Amino acid sequence: MRNRTAKIVTIYLLTIFFLLFLNFLLPRLLPGDVILAMYSGYEVTITDELYNELVQLHGLNKPLHVQFFIYLVQLAHGNLGYSHICHAPTTTLIMDALPWTMLLVCTSFILSAIIGMVLGVESSWVRGKRTDQSLLVSMLVVDGIPSLAVGILFLTIFSLYGGWFPTSGAMTPYSNLAGIAHIKDILWHLILPLTTLTLSQIPGDYLLIRNSMILTIREPYVLTARAKGIKERKIKYFHAARNAILPFFTRIGIRLAYVITGVLFIETIFAYPGLGLLTYNAISNRDLPLLQGILTVSVLLVLLINIVVDLLYKKIDPRVEYAY
Amino acid sequence: MTNVKQILIAASIICLCISTSVISAASEKEIRIADKAGDWGYPSPYLSYARGPGYVRMQFIFDTLVWKNETNSPIPLLAENWEYLNDEDAYVFNLVENAKWHDGTPVTASDVAFTIHYMKEHPYGWVVLDRVDRAEAVDKYTVKIYMSGPYAPFMEDIGGTMPILPEHIWKDVENPMDYVEPGAFVGSGPFKYADFSKEHGTYKYEAFDEYYLGKPIIDQLIYVKTGDPQMALQRGEVNFASIKSEMVDTMTEKGFIVIAGPHYWNKKLMINHNKQPLDNIVFRQALAYAINQSEFVDKSLRGYGKPASYGLISSESVWASPNVPDYPYNPGKAKELIESLGYEWDNGIFINDKKPLKLQVLVSMIGVGGQPAPDRDGEILKDQLEKVGIQVELTSLDTKMVDKKVINWDFDLAISGHGGIGADPKILYEKTIQVPGSKPSPNTARYNKSEELNEWFDGLMHEMDASKRLEAVHEAQNVYARELPAISLYYPTWYYAYTPDAGVSWFYTTGGIAKGIPIPQNKLALIVTGTEEGTTAATQEAQQQESPIISFSVVMAIFILVAFYLKRH
Repeated sequence: MRNRTAKIVTIYLLTIFFLLFLNFLLPRLLPGDVILAMYSGYEVTITDELYNELVQLHGLNKPLHVQFFIYLVQLAHGNLGYSHICHAPTTTLIMDALPWTMLLVCTSFILSAIIGMVLGVESSWVRGKRTDQSLLVSMLVVDGIPSLAVGILFLTIFSLYGGWFPTSGAMTPYSNLAGIAHIKDILWHLILPLTTLTLSQIPGDYLLIRNSMILTIREPYVLTARAKGIKERKIKYFHAARNAILPFFTRIGIRLAYVITGVLFIETIFAYPGLGLLTYNAISNRDLPLLQGILTVSVLLVLLINIVVDLLYKKIDPRVEYAY
Repeated sequence: MTNVKQILIAASIICLCISTSVISAASEKEIRIADKAGDWGYPSPYLSYARGPGYVRMQFIFDTLVWKNETNSPIPLLAENWEYLNDEDAYVFNLVENAKWHDGTPVTASDVAFTIHYMKEHPYGWVVLDRVDRAEAVDKYTVKIYMSGPYAPFMEDIGGTMPILPEHIWKDVENPMDYVEPGAFVGSGPFKYADFSKEHGTYKYEAFDEYYLGKPIIDQLIYVKTGDPQMALQRGEVNFASIKSEMVDTMTEKGFIVIAGPHYWNKKLMINHNKQPLDNIVFRQALAYAINQSEFVDKSLRGYGKPASYGLISSESVWASPNVPDYPYNPGKAKELIESLGYEWDNGIFINDKKPLKLQVLVSMIGVGGQPAPDRDGEILKDQLEKVGIQVELTSLDTKMVDKKVINWDFDLAISGHGGIGADPKILYEKTIQVPGSKPSPNTARYNKSEELNEWFDGLMHEMDASKRLEAVHEAQNVYARELPAISLYYPTWYYAYTPDAGVSWFYTTGGIAKGIPIPQNKLALIVTGTEEGTTAATQEAQQQESPIISFSVVMAIFILVAFYLKRH
């Protein structure tokens, strides 16, 4: 048991090191002189003097391995570097954006899991009937529409014509709202991006649960439960769904990575101040330290979720324990 | 019992929805401006991003010596009047005596002298002070700036662009790029810094009541980040936003005032004039004849733009030469010129030494006004050049990759673009030759081989007599258009719209703000000057109209009640 945990930890540590190395290296492999690329869109004359000052500011005058070493040491101190384009520590920038993304991603993750699961269970229970077929078709259709298009459609219908929701941002800037009114303002701004993101997640959850349920329903214990005269709702959710849910948990780690990248487009459309938008800006500004910081945080976040799922898995499915 | 409980819960949710939905009414006059990117850096000289919108955010707080409005010549700002002393090669500026910093300290000549010395020590991207020798405060309100040689673009390039810094704050700042203290936002402009949120991409400014030109006509100026500025304007979330060209008529019909931008940005074709056959002037002229500028405007801009002048300086600029050589679309003439260089026409393509005439064209997503835009011009160009027998290999690359190849002369033709062509003609010099002591820029032709051009450039940069300088500027454009170190293709037209009821008449600055920024957000639009005194700004009182939240809540409430009713029965 202890060996297994040690093994998992070692594998994760190696992965982290490798990914950090990639994080460090990839932005530096982008074509062109880093400084000139970073400031090429600027309407200023880059004199030799200014150029040298910028090179020094970014610490690019040191050899690559020294830069990597500095990066690791800083990271060990919880310091993700300083964004000279934003004039702020990368950690602050990320920590400002992270709560918004977490609010969006976590809420959407939970909502889509619940809705997808309920629809999947109900759909599989009446497999082949009209309800199931229409649900299946509509889910496939929803799955086929890119979230980008859904977002724009929602904006046009509910913001521009309906006038019900704000077009962008996470709250009304400088509105002097406080207390419940402020929370409501935040929720009001959240609804459209949240719905868009959730809608893009539901079909995946639905299809997974539905397929898994179809296999589970055939199991003898479901038949036994029926024979015992247990209420149908109970059989569906406590006997069948309880077992059908396993593949869903396996996929959480992978799915979360998709959600984090998927949120990039949605945050850009709705100008939602999260990590996705920050990434977008960092890429367009060639903000090396910021990009590096965001990638590091994303990598650590996804790995962390994976570890948690890995460790929790045997609680959810005790059979895993015996497989070793 | 459960039903009663459920109804109670539902009722309380509905009550909460309706009761708290009160949007606070702004009692002050405020203007909200939408921006797609949001974050342009802290509004302080060394902290704002060195791009047009970054400078615009900063100019509300920091004043310069002189400024520009809808007229062409510089108008007084911190400097009341000025004089150029030919014999001493120096400028004398007399400052206004009632100007104050936002912390109440008076603005004096020593602040100006200090700014010059500080910016010479700590280079500031917008202003290159190589030509300035030193500055001295003659008395409390008179400053004398000594040049190290005649420098004609001074008034616009330095006088109208360099933000004056308060000496009492900046004298202790050693590293201006890392100085993010409250002192970094103390200026002498019409607005005081109130807030900037990097996270939300929003800015808030408050009117400076003691501003020497009078209190601004609004109390608050707010920049808001929006995914779609035009939609935010239509929804009433903001008062001012950029709009898409196709929406001009619709927005005008809806009562917005639409302003069309002047043509100060050009898309241009970079040419590797160090390589055969592009090193030949006749061949470059043949290219110009082969290019149909109107087709670019029609197809690429869907008609919202106009063909460019071949002399680089915008045809709408006061500096535009009246007789720039023109190359009307003429494929026959292009073929004739190519033939005169020894090429033979063979089955639709030109050949020389049994090799076909082939050029590589680099295209990329190039930044237009800070936003990357897909480039469709490569296809149009390919089509046009192939009609005159030039084979074209179109290569689409990442912008930075194209920049790198152009800088390393590893290309034939590349599609590029830049702004600033309506401001001081110094741009013609900067975009034609490699300015000594600066890094190569990917949209500079680096064409140093024309003696004649260099002579006119000397006049353009150093001739202090206005009419002689104008002549040099005109002649430089004519030679440029004749020798074609690069070929300007077209100017796109950009539109902004605003609500008239806010009481502000926004305008495009002639030549662009400061060094030529084509954004219609000049601070002078927010200050009552002279004749406009009588017109008071209409208050943009946030109307206490029914909040959209309420209407949505009502719909939701009905929905919930119906659901419960159905469930009970």
